[in-house]
Amino acid sequence: MDDQELIREVQKGDELAFGKIVSAYKDRIVNFLYQFTGDYQKAVELSQETFLRVYFKAGKYKPVAPLSSWIYAIASNLAKTEMKKARKFPTVSLDEIAAHDMRRNASSEDPPDPGLISNLREALNALHPRYRIPVVLKDMEGFSQEEIAQIMKKPVGTIKARISRGRSFLKKRLEKALAGENLAV
Amino acid sequence: MSEMDILKKLDMVKAPPGFEQHVMAQLSLRKRQERRRRRALRWSLAGSLASLTVVFVLLGTGVFRDRTPLGIADRGADSRPASSLVQRAAAEETISIIERLDYTTEIRSRSSEPETIYLLEQVSDTTPREIKY
Repeated sequence: MDDQELIREVQKGDELAFGKIVSAYKDRIVNFLYQFTGDYQKAVELSQETFLRVYFKAGKYKPVAPLSSWIYAIASNLAKTEMKKARKFPTVSLDEIAAHDMRRNASSEDPPDPGLISNLREALNALHPRYRIPVVLKDMEGFSQEEIAQIMKKPVGTIKARISRGRSFLKKRLEKALAGENLAV
Repeated sequence: MSEMDILKKLDMVKAPPGFEQHVMAQLSLRKRQERRRRRALRWSLAGSLASLTVVFVLLGTGVFRDRTPLGIADRGADSRPASSLVQRAAAEETISIIERLDYTTEIRSRSSEPETIYLLEQVSDTTPREIKY
C-alpha cells in the first residue's frame, strides 16, 4: 500500500493505516525536528503532535503534493510556532541541562571533532527559522528545492535564495568560531 | 569542506522505542476529548437556541402583542387595555399621557353636511407642447 492509499484509509478513520504512516515517517520527522530545535525531548513531543495532526487533519490533505511534503509542512509549522513560544518565554529544563552534560561527557570520548559539531549546532540554532528550515530540509533531509517550496508554500526562487543565505550564514559563523578557537589555542 | 558536508556530520537521531504506541494512546485520548467537546458544543448550541426561543416567545407575548393591528383596535373597543396601561403607568410612577377619544359623533356630524360637487371643464384648446431648448 503506497502513501496515497494509506492517507485515503486514514481519511476514512482507519487507525491501522495511520499506524503504518507513523512507522514510515517517525524517524525522519523526529530527526528533522531535532535538527530544527536542537532538543531531542522537544523534537519527540512535536513529532507526536505532528502525527496527531496528520490524523485529525487528514481530510484536508489533497493529493497534489506527496504525503511526505504535507507531513513535513505540518512539522515545520509546529516547530516554528514552538520557537516563537520559546522566544516569548525562554526556559531551560533540568532534563535539558542533564542531557547537555551527558552529551558533553559522551562527546569528549566518541566523536572525532566535537568542537566543530557543537559550533555547527550553535550556528544552526542561531539561524533564523526562515533559513534554517530550507537548509535542514535540503542538506540533511535531502529534499529538492521544488519539494521544499511545496512544504514551505513559497516560490522556488525564494527557497533557492534562502538556502544560499542560510549556508553562507553558517559558513561565516563557523569560520568566526574556528578563528576564535585558533586564537584561544 | 562544504557546508553541505558539514551539516551531514551532525548527529542523526531516531524516534524513541514505543513512539508509535505513545502516539496511538494519545490518539485515542484526543478522540475521546474531541467526542466530549463535540457533545458539549452540541448541547450548548441546543441550549442557547432553546433559551433564544424562550426569550423570543416571552417578548412576543409580552411586548409585541400590543403592537399588532388587532391589539391596537382592541384598545378602542373597550376601555380595558387603556385603563390597564394607565394602571401600569401609575404603578411605574410615571405620568400617563393616554387619553380616550370618541370620534363617533364627529363622523356622524360630518356625514350630515351637504356633499361638495366639483365640476371639471377644459379651459384651453391648445395641446401641450414639449419644451425645446
